[in-house]
Amino acid sequence: MKLGFRSKIYLGLFSLLLLLGIVILFVVSMIMKEALLEENKNRGISIGSTLAARMAEPVLAMDFFRMKTLVDETVRLSDDIFYTFVLNDKGKPLVHTFKGGFPIELKEANSVSDIHKYSIRLLDTGKQLIYDYAFPVIIDKDRFGTIRLGLLRTKIQEAINRLWWSTFLSTGIVIIIAIFVGTAVAVPVTRRVKILHKSSEQALMGNLDTQTAPLLKKNCWEIMNCNKKECPAYGKIHQRCWYLVGTLCPNCVEGEYAQKILSCINCQVYQKCAGDEIQSLAESFSSMTLSLKTHLSELQNSEKILKEQRQLLKTVLDATPDFVSLQDIKSVYLAANKSFCDLVGRGEQEIIGRTDYDLFPKGQAERYLKEDLEILKSGKPMVKESNISGFNGSKWLHMVKIPVYEADGKMRGLLCSGRDITELKRIQEQLAQAQKMESIGQLVAGIAHEINTPMGIVLGYAQLLLEEVKPESQAYNDLKIIEKQTRICKKIVADLLRFSRRTESTMSPLNINDTIEDVLSVVEHTFKLDRVSLVRRLEPDLPAIVGDKEKLKQAFINLVNNAFDAIIGEGKITISTHYDVQLDEVIISVLDTGHGIPPRKIDRIFDPFYTTKPVGKGTGLGLAVTFGIIQEHNGKIEVESPPLFTINEKEENSQGTLFAIHLPISGKKNKMEIDHVKHIGIR
Amino acid sequence: MGKRLLSAILICLFLSVGCSQEQPAQKIDLSKREQVILKEDENIITYAYLPQYSHTVSYHRHHLLVEYLRKETGLNIKQIFPDTFNKHIKMVGQGRIDISYSNPFIYIKISNRYGARAFSRIVEMNKQKNFRGQIICRADNRSIKNIADCRGKRWIAVDATSAGGYLYPLGHFYNYGLTKSDFSEIAFSPGPGGKQEKVVLAVYAGKYDIGTIREGTLNVVSDKIDINEIRVVANTRWYPGWVYAARKDLEPEILDKIKRALLKLDYNQKEHRQILKPAEISGIIPSDDRDFDPVRKLAAKLGMSL
Repeated sequence: MKLGFRSKIYLGLFSLLLLLGIVILFVVSMIMKEALLEENKNRGISIGSTLAARMAEPVLAMDFFRMKTLVDETVRLSDDIFYTFVLNDKGKPLVHTFKGGFPIELKEANSVSDIHKYSIRLLDTGKQLIYDYAFPVIIDKDRFGTIRLGLLRTKIQEAINRLWWSTFLSTGIVIIIAIFVGTAVAVPVTRRVKILHKSSEQALMGNLDTQTAPLLKKNCWEIMNCNKKECPAYGKIHQRCWYLVGTLCPNCVEGEYAQKILSCINCQVYQKCAGDEIQSLAESFSSMTLSLKTHLSELQNSEKILKEQRQLLKTVLDATPDFVSLQDIKSVYLAANKSFCDLVGRGEQEIIGRTDYDLFPKGQAERYLKEDLEILKSGKPMVKESNISGFNGSKWLHMVKIPVYEADGKMRGLLCSGRDITELKRIQEQLAQAQKMESIGQLVAGIAHEINTPMGIVLGYAQLLLEEVKPESQAYNDLKIIEKQTRICKKIVADLLRFSRRTESTMSPLNINDTIEDVLSVVEHTFKLDRVSLVRRLEPDLPAIVGDKEKLKQAFINLVNNAFDAIIGEGKITISTHYDVQLDEVIISVLDTGHGIPPRKIDRIFDPFYTTKPVGKGTGLGLAVTFGIIQEHNGKIEVESPPLFTINEKEENSQGTLFAIHLPISGKKNKMEIDHVKHIGIR
Repeated sequence: MGKRLLSAILICLFLSVGCSQEQPAQKIDLSKREQVILKEDENIITYAYLPQYSHTVSYHRHHLLVEYLRKETGLNIKQIFPDTFNKHIKMVGQGRIDISYSNPFIYIKISNRYGARAFSRIVEMNKQKNFRGQIICRADNRSIKNIADCRGKRWIAVDATSAGGYLYPLGHFYNYGLTKSDFSEIAFSPGPGGKQEKVVLAVYAGKYDIGTIREGTLNVVSDKIDINEIRVVANTRWYPGWVYAARKDLEPEILDKIKRALLKLDYNQKEHRQILKPAEISGIIPSDDRDFDPVRKLAAKLGMSL
């Protein structure tokens, strides 16, 4: 178990005092014992020396009475003087204080030479210890005898014991007092430390509303008699004004603690309110949490604003169709918007911190790096159009790379902005194609017009000659071939003229089912012979549409013929009509079970002279003419190959093609819409 | 770590306690007792110096001389120390003092009372064959300028039997018309021993106005007090100096040996000087009883019983 601060103080104090007590007990008692023994020794020496001096005369005079009186007086001096006696120069006792004879052994127990002032021996009588002192009686350098004195060691021991016990008790009392004093000191300290500890824990848990500083008897506004309620220190009973910024005292120095504390030290508020180190710690902690709270709040607000702005910026950047990226001077990506992520097919986090080598093929990355280095070196922006191959296929991009500088003018990196211009490129190509087609159409129309008349003449003369020759003759057969081929040519020419000249239409209300039936009745027999069946799903009661019946028939014939040509072997052509109430248009669809159209070709099927049929089988004008006719009727034509519903139904070997013609009832559909939706369902 | 430190401290403490300088006790049996009986030596010739000073001074002054006599005569001469003048006198009478070295006044007493015979007398260190007494007072005592001023004063004398310290000054006062009754108080030094010094110290202390001492005493106490604080008011006339006397019954052979030995002492000889100097004797000359008649006359004049 870990000891608390208070326990440590107690333990430390107790150990220290105990140690001190033991040391004092032993050292002091030892010193005192030595001192007592020394004192006793000196006392014995003093008594003995005096006695020896006083004994000189009686010894000289052999005045036994005076000698006896002196030794008796000496013994009566103190309880601890056990005996005194005088030996003559021959070591024989002259006088002594013993009753009942002189102890024989005592004579030899101690001796002193002439050159020494005294001699001390510790004697053990079995009952008690005696310090025996021997002093020479010397008169004029002649030895006349010896004075012997016996001091009881027991008495000294008693004194030593009393001393030991009094030291022991004193130490004990000091320890007890020290514990009380220590408690009185430690309790407030530990209480305040505990408050600080709790407050710091609270602060760690996020609660910065801690009040660690103690309440004062008089606060700064009371000491200064100030009524400045707008002062940040006013009313803050747990805060000290010298920690607060912007206090309004006239003596206060502006600024934070570091700036103002030197002047605050001399202020009477500080001198009256400043406490000990722990109070100062508590007060500074309180102020620190307050300051932290304020700064944290400001930081949170700033962070929030920053986050919002960042989010806004990100939204703007992500929302923009252009891709934007920022690289540092080492071409490491620092930021990328959503479009850029889509372009490279990776998430933002996968891009940031990477280089072009991580995102693009090596050759491409090297090229980009070279460009980047060039821009960073020259500081000039770069604008270019580039065709790149990504995960989503090939794309045309319009790219701008601009060097970015920091506030101090130092180059920060490279901002790259780009735009997908694939569609623009495609439209440009289509426009060029259309212009080319228009030129061809004009050329073709001119040629067709010029050819049409001679072809009529050739046909006329061929028919005239047929009337003149016999039908069995070779000439007749040849003329028939001429007539037939001329007619074919004439039809081609007629188609060309229809495509290019856009002949005037004769618009009238018509029933589309009837028009379709006219077409089907013509071709049905022929198709049957080739095992291609026609299925009609014509919705009855269709509203009448306004249109050129002949042109529409031509359009349907083209579609049905194309469907027939697409079927190899046995097959089925389904013709259906349907009225869409919401769109207010009639939808005519032709569905075949043929080989379908490859995706790469489906974009071009409506181009003139584009055909998938073998040479001689098609002119490549059928769908172009059909497209033109439907456009003329403000309708639109869609193609799905294979039809979407077959994909949705997950039919195996799904193939075939569906052409759907939308003809408006009113005949006034928005032309833009028609242009935009040319075909759907390209796989 | 803490435990080791504590253990080390405790061990040091106990060791230091163990290192006490207490010596081992010597076993002794006090139960074995004996009665103390001292046997006196036989054939001892006792030599006593009149205790005008303390015994130790007496010893210091005469033990070399006694030692010399012992060697010179081959006799077992031993210095003894009577406590008082009277005891000295009585011990001569009792035959316990064989050779008495005393002042002339004591001599005439032992001569008169016990038949002691003077055989030598000394020459003072100042080469005087006689000596005198001195009347002293404190140097700052302005009330005493001469003998007449001593009237009505408190007087401390050495001893009623002292020559230089009482008898001679008394004769001197007598000659100036002062008798014992003219003093407010006459006291004698408390005994035993050191009586001359005690007079000086009593005057020095201011307990008595005047004191009477043998000339030469001030030098003896010069190591105890500042003798400049003491003023000599007057000196008495000269009288014969200290005298060696033998008890009445001392064998003439012994006396002769001793006398010859004493007279043999020559201050000019280094060895003898070392013996005589402590005794403050510059020489010993033959003498007989007649030399002390002036003293007897003085005693008679003063009405003293001998």
